Amino acid sequence: MTKARFDDLIHAPVRLRICGVLRQVDQMDFAVLRDTLDVSDATLSKHLKTLAEAGYVSLSKAASASRSDARRLTWIALTPAGRDAFGAHLQALQEIAGIPE
Amino acid sequence: MENDFERNPSPEEAAASLRGLAADRQALADGVHVPKTLLAALGGVAAWWVAGAAVANPGENYAPPSSGWLALVAALVTFHLIRRETGISFRKMGLRAGLVTVAIIALCLILFSISLGLVSFGARWAVVLTSLSAFGIVSWLAGVAFRSALDQLRQ
Repeated sequence: MTKARFDDLIHAPVRLRICGVLRQVDQMDFAVLRDTLDVSDATLSKHLKTLAEAGYVSLSKAASASRSDARRLTWIALTPAGRDAFGAHLQALQEIAGIPE
Repeated sequence: MENDFERNPSPEEAAASLRGLAADRQALADGVHVPKTLLAALGGVAAWWVAGAAVANPGENYAPPSSGWLALVAALVTFHLIRRETGISFRKMGLRAGLVTVAIIALCLILFSISLGLVSFGARWAVVLTSLSAFGIVSWLAGVAFRSALDQLRQ
């Protein structure tokens, strides 16, 4: 069972939403995440950088057959540390909100 | 500029955050477009494999057609293309999608066996019917499995 731990870094609204969406998948394309959250490229990039620096998300590039230029698909995933931290943060939110698990 | 939080949220704020996460999960599942062409391609792979029975010689000298391995590779390539097109690599497919996948494999094996039976009775032409059945049913079941996996995203 995950122990509740409130994480200030995760709780910033956009970062909380990023982790919440990534938790549901193994990996996700940058564009799909941006469209799901309805945020700009710059905003998403900024928060992903913060999460990556904390070791909570990993980013990997893959070639894209649909693009003729050098741009690549960026796949984003929660790391095991990020998954644990987000799980603990969710527990903390549920405790604060008084929602039984 | 979004700052890191220095205090714990109130119960109302925490509940609102959790509701927001549920809404994002819903938006994620709703935003994924179903790759119908690629799901039909999976049906095509199944039909191709079942059609391989038409050139087999059931009986003592029966040798499984090599198209089985090619069909497996084609199916794996199609799964990769589905991942690329949707931009999502699923973490969990869910029980229902898993059961449908097992049903797809069982159905292909049954239709292949029926096809071999038809060939052994000299009705080689009838393999067209089993092959078309494989295409239709597998395409449909692949869609059911994909939509079930999307439902899993909502939970």
